[in-house]
Amino acid sequence: MRMDKQTFLKTSGLQVKVLELWIEQEWLVPQQTASGVFFEEIDVARVRLIRELQSRIGANDAGIDVILHLMDQLHGMRRAMAELRRDMGGPQA
Amino acid sequence: MSNPYEVLGVSASASPAEIQSAYRKLAKKLHPDLNPGDKSAEEKFKEVAAAYDLLGDADKRRRFDAGEIDASGAERPPPRQNYYRDYAGADTGHPYANTSGFSDFMDSDDIFADLLRRGQRAQANRRGQDLHYRLAIDFSESIAGASKRITLPDGGTLDVKIPPGLVSGQTLRLKGKGAPGAGTGGPGDALIEVEVLPDPRFEREGDDITIELAVSLSEAVLGGRIRVPTATGAVTMAVPKGSNTGTVLRLKGKGAPKRGGGSGDQFVKLKVVLPSPPDAELEAFVSGWAKGKAFDPRKEG
Repeated sequence: MRMDKQTFLKTSGLQVKVLELWIEQEWLVPQQTASGVFFEEIDVARVRLIRELQSRIGANDAGIDVILHLMDQLHGMRRAMAELRRDMGGPQA
Repeated sequence: MSNPYEVLGVSASASPAEIQSAYRKLAKKLHPDLNPGDKSAEEKFKEVAAAYDLLGDADKRRRFDAGEIDASGAERPPPRQNYYRDYAGADTGHPYANTSGFSDFMDSDDIFADLLRRGQRAQANRRGQDLHYRLAIDFSESIAGASKRITLPDGGTLDVKIPPGLVSGQTLRLKGKGAPGAGTGGPGDALIEVEVLPDPRFEREGDDITIELAVSLSEAVLGGRIRVPTATGAVTMAVPKGSNTGTVLRLKGKGAPKRGGGSGDQFVKLKVVLPSPPDAELEAFVSGWAKGKAFDPRKEG
């Protein structure tokens, strides 16, 4: 589901300033279109994750930077592995 | 539900700081997003989270210790929506995908690298996304055609050629002007939905355009040459003698350009307008005009 900025703020419960900061830090990467920026459900889930890293895990901003970077690589790796398995005719994940 | 102190692995006398630290240690190990491949992590994490929701809150912990609430009667954490891992693992592209973690594997020469490369190629050579834009143009531009420039959010521009005869809601495709692709995938297209702003004077139906035009009594009765606006500029038109309100005159080829050559017509619907304010001379003439009084326009034939 595509969301504009207002809907995204409401859905994620983020403050505008926090959202702008997170975009600047590239923790969030919204889609750019001629009619403005758009967000997807993956961005809502990512906000939830960042919040939990802050509150539950107690990670600071630098820590979150590192976590997100490694996590994105891990998911890239998992995807490559899944594709490999598909190419080799293995069971679907 | 099991004893929250046991779940967190702390003693009943643990300080809030100890409880938090024990919880964080477990959360790090069990958070589903930090364990994207471990399906059982989610259940364990929920249990730990519920225990911490109870013991991490001084008031709830006091009531639990006093036996006022039991571990299962404690407020349940709100139902979980999807974790990030549910989206990040999806097959469709998203902006966070990152392959730098194993690009070195693909540089080598063995079978594994070959397989990885093959798997990546499909992704790597993905065509860029189509980008959607909206553009509003004037009615006359929709008939005559125009060149417009869209300013993009990144400061760039896009030149759009409006073909003559375009209809509101039509989408123009600019090949290769979308988001860049990866590898040999090539860029996507820019899709521009064009809205034609209505012009109160003109009404378009198919390739024909209708306009209502006021004429004076003298032009209607005696005929004459008048200037008529068209979408491509004003033209001169002859009004025949004895024209009337409702008389439709045709300007051939002054409508919208047709697909495959030629143009529709412009129809000019005349509307006779009496002088305002009323003219004394006209009034005097009409009151002495016997034939005019005898004519009943509501009578058939």
